[in-house]
Amino acid sequence: MVLLASCPLSLLTAQQGDDLLRERREYAHWLATAPLSPYALLRIQPVGPGISLGAEPSDIPLPGIGRGMAREEGAQVVLRRDSGRVALPPGRPVPVGTFTLVASGPPGRTVIAAFGPVRHFTPPLWYPPAPALDVTVALQPSGRRDAFRILGPDGTDVEVHEAGFVQPALPGSTVRLRVYRVPGEEADETELLIYFRDGTSGTGSYPAGRFVTLIPAGGGQYRLDFNRARNPFCAYSSAFPCPAPWPGNTLPLRIEAGEQYHAADPHPAP
Amino acid sequence: MKSGLRALLCLLVAAGAGDGLGAQAPANPVGRWSAALDLAGGPLPFQLLVDEHGGLRAGRLCSATDCQAISAIRQEGDSLVFELADYAASIAVVVRGDSLVGRYHNVGRRGPRTIPLRAARGAMPVSSAPATLVGRWDAWFQSGFDATPRVLLIENTPGGAEGTIISNSGDYGRFAGEMKGDTIRMGHFDGSFVYLLTARLDGDTLRGIFHAGLRSQTPFVAVRSTGRRHLTPPTEVTRADSTTPFAFAAPDLEGRTVSSTDARFRGKVVLLDIFGTWCPTCHEAAPLLAELYRDYHARGLEVVGLAFEVAGDSTVDAPQVRRYRDKFGLPFPLLLGGTSDVETVAGLLPGLDGFTAFPTTIFLGRDGRVRRIHAGFYGAATGSAHEALKAEFRREVERLLRKN
Repeated sequence: MVLLASCPLSLLTAQQGDDLLRERREYAHWLATAPLSPYALLRIQPVGPGISLGAEPSDIPLPGIGRGMAREEGAQVVLRRDSGRVALPPGRPVPVGTFTLVASGPPGRTVIAAFGPVRHFTPPLWYPPAPALDVTVALQPSGRRDAFRILGPDGTDVEVHEAGFVQPALPGSTVRLRVYRVPGEEADETELLIYFRDGTSGTGSYPAGRFVTLIPAGGGQYRLDFNRARNPFCAYSSAFPCPAPWPGNTLPLRIEAGEQYHAADPHPAP
Repeated sequence: MKSGLRALLCLLVAAGAGDGLGAQAPANPVGRWSAALDLAGGPLPFQLLVDEHGGLRAGRLCSATDCQAISAIRQEGDSLVFELADYAASIAVVVRGDSLVGRYHNVGRRGPRTIPLRAARGAMPVSSAPATLVGRWDAWFQSGFDATPRVLLIENTPGGAEGTIISNSGDYGRFAGEMKGDTIRMGHFDGSFVYLLTARLDGDTLRGIFHAGLRSQTPFVAVRSTGRRHLTPPTEVTRADSTTPFAFAAPDLEGRTVSSTDARFRGKVVLLDIFGTWCPTCHEAAPLLAELYRDYHARGLEVVGLAFEVAGDSTVDAPQVRRYRDKFGLPFPLLLGGTSDVETVAGLLPGLDGFTAFPTTIFLGRDGRVRRIHAGFYGAATGSAHEALKAEFRREVERLLRKN
């Protein structure tokens, strides 16, 4: 931010727009190609007292893979097959044949996500960039101190804290949006996440709502850029469970920015 | 100097915005580059070094003297791609004379992670930290309602000013950057971890922000170390939520699940011993646990051993733990927790925070809540420390048994 201070404003705006379009291209590429893309998900299944994986009939059918049973053993899930034993440490992708398995969730409630090749892919649809819906907000602290678990955008449950509330200045809205602090992908990283609904939910955007993260802007201020709002992964594949909307996070206007959703284009589980 | 750098970076931003200006021949990337990742909180400085030997290019990412080798360098269209295979990450840049513009890219589990990157040819300017900044600082990192201690070390080395950030459990590697007047901007980037610390001296207090990743920011304040202990040594970092009963459940050597909610533990003082048969210090603690059980079981003490073994497979582990039980004549249940890695322990005991040491003994009061955690154990070789610790364990058990 400091470094860009000496740049002409017009250049900055062009750069920000360019960043947004590049982010969208990269996200589409990730959805189409990444081994853990939501389009590559075959099934998420609670391990419970034990589940079978492999050739049909299995709880998680993996064609061409010898049948085995996965169970929680101590803290981790272990897959036992005739060919041997494979441990599935929490959160780590483990290749099994041409498939990838990821175990996650707290002990007793572990789930296994099985990923295969991306079989179908529909590029995400976006509303055109709306600079007016890229707003600056201040985070008002919350009184709630406890940690609790929610279903994250990727359909796995994560422990979060309530970071506070933001009140974006939008026409006709006085809504304060709830913000949760969720763990990032690396140590010491967290994200300030908002799951919101608005007038487009179900009529242009995903019915259950969309996720957006706050971008720190210095001095206790954050950028809330609705152009960066994205669908939960359950919008791409019905193999994902869908996070329930957060209480109070409904904006009384149409946020025509960010990712769209067309119900006419259903995404069945493979 | 600073305004000159700003102007240069502004030009680089302009060049990057154009997308595909280059119908020029790829410029030579060999040499030293003073680079920066562009985070929400400003640039994270680091060095990019590219060598060429016999037509083969090799590279390193460096933060002060901490360097990470680049696994491969290849040309892709007009971009030069540096692969960081260990992290499934890459850096793609376009070389334009004396500048590089591009992006750091990491596949990510929830979506791609991309951070803009730019560099100027030449070594990072050597900065020397003023005396007002050099030294040891006791810091508090503020996250929500929690403040956690860190120590910042700022020093001048022959290679320039360097920093280190130390937490209770370890350090974040070396940081390099600019320390000038009353400000610090220092970074550590190894191809996976993205850390930046910015701070300003305000009277006697250093106020700043620790940035992790693209968008994560933790404010902190620091004051000069008085020499008093600020961090908690690793043997004491293990903590637990003591507001609710501590939960554990695992199979015993016969495969029956033993759980903290079983009737046998109700209203009892419980010592939960986290151990491994592979751990020599655990062997030293075992006789004391057996002694405590014999002396205090009638008054309401239960002891449970929770084994984390190398195999993590009960057909291998159960006989191994049975031998351990028989060797020490342990009269209390021993459970199989899984493999001996920190993740497994954390997964089985989610109420435990910061597990680092085998053995770790958790003292639970009659209400099932954690009253004390002792990580590690002083074996017989430590002489008086061993005797003092045995007496301390005994006192603590007696104290807990007296409470209702």
